[in-house]
Amino acid sequence: MNFEAVIGLEIHVEMKTKSKMFSTSPVTFGDDPNTNIAPLDMAFPGTMPVVNKQAVINAIRVCHALHMSIDDELWFDRKNYFYSDLPKGYQITQQRRPIGSEGYLEIETSSGKKRINIERLHMEEDTCKQLHSWDCTLLDYNRAGIPLVEIVSKPEMKTGEEAMKYVEKIRSIVSFLEVSDGKMEEGSLRCDVNISIMPVGSKVFGTKVEIKNLNTLVNIQKAIDFEIKRQEAVLLSGGVVQQETRRFDEAKKETVLMRVKTDAVDYKYFTEPNIAPIKLSKQFIEDAISSSPELAEVKLERYKSLSLNDYDSNLLISNKDNCEYFDAVVANGANAKLAANWVLVDIQAILNKEDISIKQFKVSPKHLADLIKLIEKGTVSNKQAREIFVKMQENDADPNELVKAMGTTLISNESEILAIVKQVLDNNPQSIIDYKNGKDRAVGFLVGQVMKLTQGKANPALTNKLIVQELKER
Amino acid sequence: MKPVNKSVLEEAAQKLMFEMDEKQYDTLLEEFHTILSQLELIGEIPGVDEVEPMTFPFDVTNSFLREDVTQKPLDRDVALKNASDVVDGQIRLPKVVG
Repeated sequence: MNFEAVIGLEIHVEMKTKSKMFSTSPVTFGDDPNTNIAPLDMAFPGTMPVVNKQAVINAIRVCHALHMSIDDELWFDRKNYFYSDLPKGYQITQQRRPIGSEGYLEIETSSGKKRINIERLHMEEDTCKQLHSWDCTLLDYNRAGIPLVEIVSKPEMKTGEEAMKYVEKIRSIVSFLEVSDGKMEEGSLRCDVNISIMPVGSKVFGTKVEIKNLNTLVNIQKAIDFEIKRQEAVLLSGGVVQQETRRFDEAKKETVLMRVKTDAVDYKYFTEPNIAPIKLSKQFIEDAISSSPELAEVKLERYKSLSLNDYDSNLLISNKDNCEYFDAVVANGANAKLAANWVLVDIQAILNKEDISIKQFKVSPKHLADLIKLIEKGTVSNKQAREIFVKMQENDADPNELVKAMGTTLISNESEILAIVKQVLDNNPQSIIDYKNGKDRAVGFLVGQVMKLTQGKANPALTNKLIVQELKER
Repeated sequence: MKPVNKSVLEEAAQKLMFEMDEKQYDTLLEEFHTILSQLELIGEIPGVDEVEPMTFPFDVTNSFLREDVTQKPLDRDVALKNASDVVDGQIRLPKVVG
């Protein structure tokens, strides 16, 4: 019997606002435990939640990017459960009226494009962080109250690859919108998978298993592919799939049982009475969208309009920091194609070698732009530019100053070059014969000779032009 | 609705990690009995099912959102003052997962 999988994803995205969802304590990562908390985060009596404007703006931007309808009235609910990570005994979330509903995104897999529909996006607050050691549990409230958006897909994915691409796309959206770091390994983007299988063509879903806490894109794919095979094996051997929660064991490359779900937990949701409904004006929603940072897709189109090829454009948008750097170089007046080449080839090689990100790279976009302009103007040759570039990396030196100091300005004086060209031609009669016989290579050789005599300082374009002109006359 | 009897209360106490003595169970059962019979009385009012829950006494909305500005957080010592067991600046509990 052939089976098909039904996969739905719930993604929690931690927002990088300055303050928390309902309190004014700072949002940070990696600070000393319990140093970023306000009375509200620990549920001290008498404290009241006040909704963070930026968190709402961020949620609106993500909703818009996911083509969702946006609710213009904010309602919050309490999700009640008793656990040590939840100081208040309830989490403030949006159960009844999520800010975003009915959206979609498009993914590109090895078998083509596919639209994945999204059921809802709601705002909520993060819980406190629990550190489990062998004999006790330690609580750090720094994370309690950090704004989250939860994005719930429809159960429409069928393979590990589709799920992985879906998460990759969400991650790209939230990081390009500057809503979140989207770092799975640091927990700022967390993914839970719901997965069941059924005979191909069936309309009745099988029993759903949840896989929790997948912390890399690759693991999402691996965990799902493993889980599909495991459920198939259970059914084919005549067993039944239990409703359970599993986790992915990275070492064993398989999912392992965490707990069997006996009955559905009743969270006894009810409207949060401490937050009166908040009306969002049309203007507020429109402003949030129109002031939003550029999405990867929009950037891609813009890069193509700058006449970058598909390969370079895609390579650039695969890294948001590289995009920012590239955009700044172009904004400083550099030719886009040359700028892309420098960022993707020359700079990338250095970043790889030194294992750093472009944010740590010493040469400023402005100075790289200046260097590129020097090449475009013919003031320096490519070879000289690369020598200058090496010097610039020491302390972000100004390339214009370096050119002066090094005396590397190209000879662009026509009569000066022509004199050398004549001399080179006189010394290489064979090349003239070769050229007359149709061997264009001869020109390259002659340019090389001129460069040799001028220590590479002759303007290459001009040299080329003068050699061809002189050859034709002889 | 599930009838509230002793075994329901015992199950809830177990989940909430409470320990209660017989007298407390008796008191609680009695209180539930009172509350539930009052609710039954309300349930007899005609059309009560169609009434929307009233979370807010007045039908108001506002448009206030807090600017995303931080304020000085609590000093750690103050924040953890009520905790009985603190290790390395963190509150220590009995282990909550198996």
